[in-house]
Amino acid sequence: MNWNAIIPELVLSLGILLLFVLDLFLQKKHYRLLGTISAFVPVVSLISLLFVSYPAKALFGLFEVSSLNLLGKAVLYILTSLVLFSMQDYYEKKDSVYTELSYLPLLSTLGLSILISSANLVALFLSLELASVGMYLMVSLLKGEYLSKEAGYKYLIMGSVGTSMLALGSAFYYASTGSLFFREYRDENSLFVLSMLLLLSALALKASAVPYHFWTPDAYEGAPTPITGYLSSVPKVALYFLLVQLLGYFYHLKQWLLLVAVLSVLSMFYANLVAYAQRSVKRLLAYSTIAHAGYFLLGISTVDPQLQKALLFYVSLYAFASLGSFTLMAVLEKRSGFSHHMLDYRGLFREHPFLASLFALFLFAFIGIPPMALFVGKLGLFIGLVNTMLFPLAFALVLASIISAGYYLRVIVSMFLEKDEKRFPPARVSGGEAFTLLLCSILVVLLGIFPHLLYDLIGF
Amino acid sequence: MENLLSIAIFLPLLGAVLTAIVRKEKFSKILSLGISSVVFLIVLYLFLNFNWSAQGFQYVKRFDWIPSLGISYHVGVDGMAISLLLMTSLVFVVAFLWSLRVEDRPNLYFALFLALETACLGVFSALDFFLFYLFWEGMLIPMYFIIGMWGHDRKVYAANKFFVYTFFGSVFLLLGLASIVVYGYIMTGKLSFDYTFHLGFSYPMILQTAAFLLFGLGFAVKIPMWPVHTWLPDAHVEAPTAGSVILAAVLLKMGTFGFVRYSLPLFPDASKYFIPLIFFLSLVAIIYTAMMAIAQTHIKRLIAYSSISHMGVVTLGTFAMDLNALNGAIYMMIAHGLSSAALFMSAGFIYDRVHSYHMDDLGGLARYVPKLAVLFMISGLAGIGFPGLAGFVAEFLVFLGTYKNFPLWAFIAGVGVVLSAAYFLYMYKRVMFEEETISEYRLEKWKHLKDLETHHMLSFILIIASAFIMGLYPYPFVKIIEQTSRYVLGG
Repeated sequence: MNWNAIIPELVLSLGILLLFVLDLFLQKKHYRLLGTISAFVPVVSLISLLFVSYPAKALFGLFEVSSLNLLGKAVLYILTSLVLFSMQDYYEKKDSVYTELSYLPLLSTLGLSILISSANLVALFLSLELASVGMYLMVSLLKGEYLSKEAGYKYLIMGSVGTSMLALGSAFYYASTGSLFFREYRDENSLFVLSMLLLLSALALKASAVPYHFWTPDAYEGAPTPITGYLSSVPKVALYFLLVQLLGYFYHLKQWLLLVAVLSVLSMFYANLVAYAQRSVKRLLAYSTIAHAGYFLLGISTVDPQLQKALLFYVSLYAFASLGSFTLMAVLEKRSGFSHHMLDYRGLFREHPFLASLFALFLFAFIGIPPMALFVGKLGLFIGLVNTMLFPLAFALVLASIISAGYYLRVIVSMFLEKDEKRFPPARVSGGEAFTLLLCSILVVLLGIFPHLLYDLIGF
Repeated sequence: MENLLSIAIFLPLLGAVLTAIVRKEKFSKILSLGISSVVFLIVLYLFLNFNWSAQGFQYVKRFDWIPSLGISYHVGVDGMAISLLLMTSLVFVVAFLWSLRVEDRPNLYFALFLALETACLGVFSALDFFLFYLFWEGMLIPMYFIIGMWGHDRKVYAANKFFVYTFFGSVFLLLGLASIVVYGYIMTGKLSFDYTFHLGFSYPMILQTAAFLLFGLGFAVKIPMWPVHTWLPDAHVEAPTAGSVILAAVLLKMGTFGFVRYSLPLFPDASKYFIPLIFFLSLVAIIYTAMMAIAQTHIKRLIAYSSISHMGVVTLGTFAMDLNALNGAIYMMIAHGLSSAALFMSAGFIYDRVHSYHMDDLGGLARYVPKLAVLFMISGLAGIGFPGLAGFVAEFLVFLGTYKNFPLWAFIAGVGVVLSAAYFLYMYKRVMFEEETISEYRLEKWKHLKDLETHHMLSFILIIASAFIMGLYPYPFVKIIEQTSRYVLGG
């Protein structure tokens, strides 16, 4: 048994167990300590990545380690740690501190971490479920609020549909190939294609691509805001690192391009148009996530190292920008009476110039304005698509980006150029939140100016 | 020496960071003025040391920046670029000088203008597509906030319109850039964003056509050419004075600069192919927007339309495929930069004092603000190409060159010059004379009108003196510009 390959996951699991045990003995007033410990668990996992020798296989070949998926895990751990650091103050303000807070995100991250490395449908299924169950719970963890419970319920139902599709897809896959391992199968019988359709659909559901996106706006809106930050960043990174690896096995399937292209074009245009109708900024960003799922899927439309590099760069930086913006919204939400309605953002710049500027920075990053790093990602996707002669998709990306500019701008206009009507008590930023916000914004700008620091690490 | 150019580009950005950190009003004002003056002096030094008999780019600085994507930090200037840099840095000094009395959140105001200056200088100096696009988009955010936060009544509408139009154009520009970079990659196996690397290619016609149109759309929105010009009058009307000055004098030039720097040398065949289209659009711009200008009663809107009309002359000269015409077009970029800056300053001053841009509310002002009356007149004459001022040399060269190859088009465009005299003089008459419109009420209010102050005078003097120098002694400027024109036209 190659233990070395699963060190980071082992560390995570031990951390979770430690938290379980501590949970038994600690009193409620010490829950803050629990939260702090939990935030350091992914940091230790991150360090343990240095000790993994790759490429390697473990668990009878179910689990594979390569430089690429180690990088993905590193991003996951950093993001999770940031979420855990920044969310305590929010829950205290909401008067909803539970011990589950400390380990549920870790459980999900453990699932996603295994997901990235899975080389087999069993591993994929189990890890995705582990991650999902954690997330269903996290979404509904504001027990006092109706919206949170509704969001969790809806997410659970839709997620179960995804699970069923995944299970059925795996069954068909096994029926047509006689194995559950991913391999390059070239005999394309209709059962195999059907299984691919189901598997991709299940993953598209998790990635919130249209037409499997229905849960996204509700779950994002109802979830506690730091958890929305988690949902919009950590699972996305894991999924695309996985999808890039799956692409390596299944790219020769003729239907692949068509399927991915349809999903991505639908997501880009549908979400960008519907976003205009939103009044809640949180919901608006949920639609922005769906639109981004569309951009990201373009990155796996065909095999091209530049394209996949750009995708992984893009999705990693998007995760930071997204986490940053939701953390910021959590900070704002701690003020009583704040509801994320567009009107509540009016005149934010006059009250909190620094927070408003940071939010504007993230929004400009989503539009894809240089020097923010997301621009480099978009540019890479452009070049990759043109390079592989997928001109219509490149054109769709351009058009969708232009359409998207308007609704992001509306939030910026609200914050900077309009006068506030409602007054809220001043926002207080906790240490963890400040750290998360600063780190996310610095990364988004710094990697925009020196993208090669990350770009060159993404190796194929 | 090669570092001087980079220093000039990034010094204002450093200033922007400092102003944002220190947050002292007086400090930011003095710092901005100081930094922009230093930048101007550096650029002047580079301009004076520019070797106009040598071909190619000078003060070049290059190092690898993002090697895995073939992106480098590569800056350098040719004759056109150094002239535009000089004009830009001068206009920024003037803009800061003019804004010394800004009271509404001055720290942010000056920080945004400083960031804008870096972006503008960068666009004219970049020799790498990525770097160029970075600066090109870099101006978008500061300008958006300048219009949106310090503008007049419908500022939000104008700022959004400005943003969406410009973003629309630049995304297509990006697609154009991507397509030729990828072509280079397919042909040589080397991914490179370097401008000089791509100069060596002769692209197939289909790619030239596509890229010309994609680039062209980006540039056309910025110039702006008819029919994508509608953002400009709104942006100008709503922007604060210094914003209008920079917008007219510098930002509009980025588009025409792009045509000369990128479209002509990279896609020569497509450029020739699209001459009729460009000429048609230019003529519509020249005649139609001049007529629109005549119809205005809002002085800033009138000046905005006149800008579009004059930029039509630039695009006409650019695509006339003649050395004189191209010289004239580049000359016009600088001349128009100066004259439009002066005109917007005049309009802004009138608004500061009388709080109206409408001709009906003005009338007979000359008696109360005589210094402005004189300078406004000179600015206007500079704008309409009066002999002795820079605009005349420019228009003369453009028409001379265009007439040689395309006499009919030149003739029609000439009508625009007559119209420009008409709208300016008509406006001037209604704003400055027509004393019969002064009512008792107005008389009471205007008796105490304060004329230009020292910082206003200094701003005007810098601009108008430059216009006179370029109008009376064009030789060195034409020589420097010709260094670019000869190269672009392949001789």
